[in-house]
Amino acid sequence: MQVLKVENISKVYGTKKNSNRYTALRSVSFEVNQGEFIGVMGASGSGKTTLLNILGSLDKPTTGKYSMNGNDIGTMHKNELAKHRIENIGFIFQDYNLLETMTLKENIILPLSLMGKDVKTIEAKLEKLAGDLGILHVIGKYPYEVSGGEQQRAAACRALINNPKMILADEPTGNLDSKSGKDLLNLLSFINMEYKATILLVTHDVFAASYCQKILFIRDGEIYNELYAGNDKKQFFDSIIDVMSMLGGERK
Amino acid sequence: MNLFALALRNIRLNRKKYIMYVFSLGFSVFTVYTFLALMQNESVKLAFQYDTRYQMMLTSFGIIILVFVLFFLISSNNSFIRARKKELSTYALFGMTNLRIGTLLFLETLMVGMVTLAVGMGAGIFFSKLMAMFLLDLSLSNYVGDISFTIDPMAMYVTALLFVVIFCMMGLSALRVIYQFELVDLFKADKISEGKQKGSVLILVLSLVLMIAGYILASIKSTYIVVLGAIPILILVITGTYLFFWGGLPKVLSMIKRNKRIYYQSTNLISVSAVSHRMKSIASVMATIAVLSAVASTAIATGFTLYSNAERNTYSNMGFDLVYYGGEVSLKDNIHDVLQLNQVVIELEDTIGLYEAHPKTETVIVEAREHLTDEDTFRVYSETTYNRLIAESKTDLEAAVIPSGKAYYIFPFSQEGIESAMLDLRLDFQKVDIQIVKVIRSSVPGFGLDHTLILTDEDYESLIQSGLILSSEENGRAGTAVVMNYEHALDNRELNNALENIPKGTVVGFRTAYKLYNESMETFGLICFIGFFMSGVFILMTASLLYFKQVMAAEEERHQYKMLKRIGMEDKTERQVIQKRLIPIFFIPLAMGIIHSIFAMKTADTVVFSNIISVENSYLSVLGFSAVMYLAYGAVYGVFYLITKAQYGRIIRS
Repeated sequence: MQVLKVENISKVYGTKKNSNRYTALRSVSFEVNQGEFIGVMGASGSGKTTLLNILGSLDKPTTGKYSMNGNDIGTMHKNELAKHRIENIGFIFQDYNLLETMTLKENIILPLSLMGKDVKTIEAKLEKLAGDLGILHVIGKYPYEVSGGEQQRAAACRALINNPKMILADEPTGNLDSKSGKDLLNLLSFINMEYKATILLVTHDVFAASYCQKILFIRDGEIYNELYAGNDKKQFFDSIIDVMSMLGGERK
Repeated sequence: MNLFALALRNIRLNRKKYIMYVFSLGFSVFTVYTFLALMQNESVKLAFQYDTRYQMMLTSFGIIILVFVLFFLISSNNSFIRARKKELSTYALFGMTNLRIGTLLFLETLMVGMVTLAVGMGAGIFFSKLMAMFLLDLSLSNYVGDISFTIDPMAMYVTALLFVVIFCMMGLSALRVIYQFELVDLFKADKISEGKQKGSVLILVLSLVLMIAGYILASIKSTYIVVLGAIPILILVITGTYLFFWGGLPKVLSMIKRNKRIYYQSTNLISVSAVSHRMKSIASVMATIAVLSAVASTAIATGFTLYSNAERNTYSNMGFDLVYYGGEVSLKDNIHDVLQLNQVVIELEDTIGLYEAHPKTETVIVEAREHLTDEDTFRVYSETTYNRLIAESKTDLEAAVIPSGKAYYIFPFSQEGIESAMLDLRLDFQKVDIQIVKVIRSSVPGFGLDHTLILTDEDYESLIQSGLILSSEENGRAGTAVVMNYEHALDNRELNNALENIPKGTVVGFRTAYKLYNESMETFGLICFIGFFMSGVFILMTASLLYFKQVMAAEEERHQYKMLKRIGMEDKTERQVIQKRLIPIFFIPLAMGIIHSIFAMKTADTVVFSNIISVENSYLSVLGFSAVMYLAYGAVYGVFYLITKAQYGRIIRS
């Protein structure tokens, strides 16, 4: 089943009269199906964060059209967009973006409570999810009292709790050490398998990208290449490195 | 770039942060200058020269204002510096010494200070005439001298000197704040909790018990106990207030948190956790604001109630526009001549025969003092005469209806214990015993004697017959009293001067309502003025303290709202969250201050107002007048809330 359809999206910063016009995205088109785990790779300034912001409906494309489950997102109003985000999209950010005034538990249930769910539903969902993600023991603590890995898992938990149609992860391993990063990637794979969640992972870390089933490479605002994971993980890893070195981005 | 240029640049860059700072500093300068100028103002000096009490009152009020200005400026300066922590730590990171950073800040304070000093004093001079007029209008409504527009070099000099000293103190305290900064904090400042407080049930209960004990003590109906208990009441209530904000309110918040059905509602979840997160840093400020609001609202409520009841007070004391007893026969004609000359219409004129009696009584002791002994003489009226007098007068007294063989007792002063001591007392008039069945407080019918009795017409007649009631003339006192009411009694200055100048000879008591009214207006007007001035200053200081705190918090919380927007919080929800976040911080202290004030007014009623407003339940009437001032205070405070809310919203959306 198709979750997301992106058609000819372009994003231009600056006005027409302004000489500082800068094109971040040029006619990008792709589709995402239910249950896919897709990576988006590119060097800094290639437009991958712009793409993620547009997909997350935090930003609007200059031209082009994109729809989720058949609903055209571009025509929605501000409040409809807020509703759309809270119901259909889960975000995981590099710097976790947890509220430090709240315990992990309160952070996780935020989307549900914003949606106005009742206490029973909230508690039931929280219990299961936090158990699966292995943070049940620290759930009553405040973000600054737990490790970065635990914070990021709580953030993942928050992204998942409203059963979003799509999870957008922006460099989620960027702030983690390699062990925690690996744990988180395994967790994303687990979420992808177990909950049939559709995940879009933006990264420039080759290791993180190698967990995806499909990778879109972006250069100068255009889709430059696509790679599919085969059975051999090592080979996939190597081919990602090849493409990246061609892009002039990561050298590893 | 030298320090001086850097300071200038900082002021330019921090323009927005400086605006509110300049405003409150400017207001402080304005307050101090205006105050000093008022004390020096020739018209004010002249008007109050007969009474040194007012100079004393104004001086002590000035000292209170100065202390709070100092407290307010230093604490807002400190939070201003904390708001710039990042910037200042960056200087330290690049190797600037604390002393140099302190000097830099001092230079900034001095530069901004000099400008505000000029602006504040300019405003002070500009409004000096208005202020003097306001004060004189309130307290000396019949003052006719010319109020000039004045520039007071003495006041300017003292203000400037005071503020330079204050700026130096601010500089020193800023240095202390800078030395407290840890460089590490720069990198983790936002992440660390300011210290959550769980609070405790014990402290919550204790704080409530302390406050309620204070309230109960304040509500006791005895003047004696209330005056003695003033300090304990203050200690109980103030301690209770601080404990409530330190430990009680956090407990209430954590109790809300435990009620998941309420807490898990989106706006509550965000705002309650945000408020409880800030609790520790704001608890003392909130408690101080509660206390200050209580002081300020009590001051204006007292002033306003007194002021509004000056006329009532006058007539409940006097009963008529003009009263005299004794004196030469020609006095009456002279008064008539004066009234005619001033073309004043006489509305009422009556001559009352004065009688007295000397019954045997037991000695009555009230609060360790002899209230009534066998020596005392009673002024005596028949029911009919008394009711005529009361009906003609401008008092709130009700007509007497006396059962046969009984009497009403009237006494001019209010004192706890008199009523119960005098009630049921039997007076021995040789043949008959007459029992007192009602005690009234009034100074109208005494005409020179403290104790007054009203008898039934029959009893009165028979006692006159038997010679037990005598005309006062036979005892060498005035035998008649003349009472008059006429037009423009309270506002005709010339008429009053003419009346005062009539030669009166051996007259014993000659009083005009005009004189009493103007005396009370002077006092009440001054209290009213001080009340308004003080609440103006307190409101501005407390509200801008809260403003600073919230704007600082907004800077820190901005990224949280950004994140909430990202995960899909609607604009409407955001507005609700901001409201729920700010309303408790602004209005819990206000509500508590007003509750304190309501009980303070109860005490004021016992001590002062029950003497002035002689209706059955004077407290209700006092509360009515106070409510007007509470509403006014709340409205001004509300405006500051709206300003803060707007600024908070602007910051988190930027």
